[in-house]
Amino acid sequence: MLLEVRDLHVEFRTRDGVAHAVNGVDYSVAAGQTLAVLGESGSGKSVTAQAIMGILDMPPGRITGGEVLFHGRDLLKLKEEERRKIRGAGMAMIFQDALSALNPVLTVGDQLGEMFTVHRGTSRKEARARAIELMDRVRIPAAAQRVRDYPHQFSGGMRQRIMIAMALALEPSLIIADEPTTALDVTVQAQVMDLLAELQREYDMGLVLITHDLGVVADVADRIAVMYAGRIIETAPVHDIYKAPAHPYTRGLLESVPRLDQKGQELYAIKGLPPSLLDIPSGCAFHPRCPMARDVCRTDVPPLYEVPGDRRSACHFWRECLDG
Amino acid sequence: MAEPVLEVGGLVKHYPLTQGVLFRKQVGAVRAVDGVDFTLLKGETLGIVGESGCGKSTLARLLVQLERPTQGTIRYRGEDITGLSGRALKAVRRDIQMVFQDPYTSLNPRMTVGDIVGEPYEIHPEAAPKGDRRRRVRELLEVVGLNPEHVNRYPHQFSGGQRQRIGIARGLALRPGIIVADEPVSALDVSVQAQVINLMERLQDEFDLSYVFIAHDLSVVRHISDRVGVMYLGKIVEIGTETEIYDHPTHPYTQALLSAVPVPDPEAREHRDRIILSGDVPSPTDIPSGCRFRTRCWKARERCALEVPPLAVPEEFRTATGPAAHDSACHFAEERRVVPPEQSAG
Repeated sequence: MLLEVRDLHVEFRTRDGVAHAVNGVDYSVAAGQTLAVLGESGSGKSVTAQAIMGILDMPPGRITGGEVLFHGRDLLKLKEEERRKIRGAGMAMIFQDALSALNPVLTVGDQLGEMFTVHRGTSRKEARARAIELMDRVRIPAAAQRVRDYPHQFSGGMRQRIMIAMALALEPSLIIADEPTTALDVTVQAQVMDLLAELQREYDMGLVLITHDLGVVADVADRIAVMYAGRIIETAPVHDIYKAPAHPYTRGLLESVPRLDQKGQELYAIKGLPPSLLDIPSGCAFHPRCPMARDVCRTDVPPLYEVPGDRRSACHFWRECLDG
Repeated sequence: MAEPVLEVGGLVKHYPLTQGVLFRKQVGAVRAVDGVDFTLLKGETLGIVGESGCGKSTLARLLVQLERPTQGTIRYRGEDITGLSGRALKAVRRDIQMVFQDPYTSLNPRMTVGDIVGEPYEIHPEAAPKGDRRRRVRELLEVVGLNPEHVNRYPHQFSGGQRQRIGIARGLALRPGIIVADEPVSALDVSVQAQVINLMERLQDEFDLSYVFIAHDLSVVRHISDRVGVMYLGKIVEIGTETEIYDHPTHPYTQALLSAVPVPDPEAREHRDRIILSGDVPSPTDIPSGCRFRTRCWKARERCALEVPPLAVPEEFRTATGPAAHDSACHFAEERRVVPPEQSAG
């Protein structure tokens, strides 16, 4: 297995108390596979990714338990120096907002070239040539001229391509993309997702795609992991989950999105609000909003039950949910 | 047929670009809205979709008179309101209210919710007698699904969805006939988004409202709209009923836009008709001649660079009666279904 996250716990010390952002997350990604991590804001999907990459702000963040196995090696036990070597060369990250993720006072050529001078010790001239090659790779027109441009001189879609080029530079085996197309217009989103999928196939990379968009997930993912209040509440192959969700939260999400192919009547809306991470409900964190909740849900935290067909669900009543 | 409440004709908003400090001269213009026509009927929802920079937010600001148009007219119940000022303008503004996109910056953080929702009564004192305002504010909060006991809380004590409800309550305070909503749900999480969409639909029935609903999310717009207009670079390129636009689009831009939307159904992945546009949207300071979409269009021919296609029923459909016969600004319009018919019964 390329990446295996086991029982990861992350908390944040805040003025108002301890925020339990990640509460025992397990997931794994194989080479060439795309895992979509789906969740609403505050579900812990980005914090998990930051902990894997080793870019979590500590403090206020703190990893209080778990393992992150990359090619079988626990990254959380490594020294910062060793982790830095893995970042970029072993795994790389693509962020949502390319304009703030890129350095505004360096040309894109310098930023791309830096990957080679710092990690590989190549000469500056060689690094510049590699930068142009990469920009060609992600289909930026007139790469040889544009290599001297600054990030603000590119459109949003082109900037996101530069981020992808930077992530690919050292040919990592894993890419974590955190809402890579959320800030883009839909026609540009389609271009960028297509490019990402094509490059993933070509380099046989593992891809963790963090998103809140059920449409994007359906388009590209192999497996899906749904997060709620810092836990994975359901994981399954992508086709199965859309056909028959095994958790009432997943079912609610699927029913609450308006669809392009139907006019539809009143939307199903999950009642209430996502919980505060400072005060996560007892038992199943979803019980105050769940239409199926019973007494046991208020008292017992549901484990991730095995569901036939290589699936898991953290619902005491997953069988009922599957039957609809 | 319902009566028209808003008639927009030849609406244009250009922002001049100037050069020089001592001798300022105009060197060009950002043509944000560049000739828009549509009619809004009483009680209907007109959706406006388009990508960033297409001018849809400027259009919203023109409709609520936050901006003065460079050219064109906006008629409200038959009366041209574009030249109004003073008291007459104030009276019209009472009837056309706006709901903003960002529930974080559109509410004053130093005002209580009660003061925010009640502020329209300060500006239009004739709308409600002083002694009655407190009661009305509580009533409004209840209507949008907020606890009236929270009238003394501040915006930061509410979640994003709740804040958007506050913005809607403020929009409703003066009992307007028209609400212009600019991306009202795009900052919200999916589960909360559904709540706010349902609320807006319920309020429309309850208060007999007409909506201009502006958004970039095509699925949301289809869900809420009766008719839909597609904007590209400051112009509406295609307009029709929700079924005409989504199931029978004839303009290539609409087709490309619809085909790019990810559908939450992995079964649809294989048999979808995907049109990937090349290049970026041209700058609104330098709009292509003729048809403004031609630089990205796979059908473009010489005629497209020379003649501006009018927004009308295209010639080839003029005698047809089916859903393909609707206004579409393309010389070579043809029907192409890009949204697959609904697959699963879910």
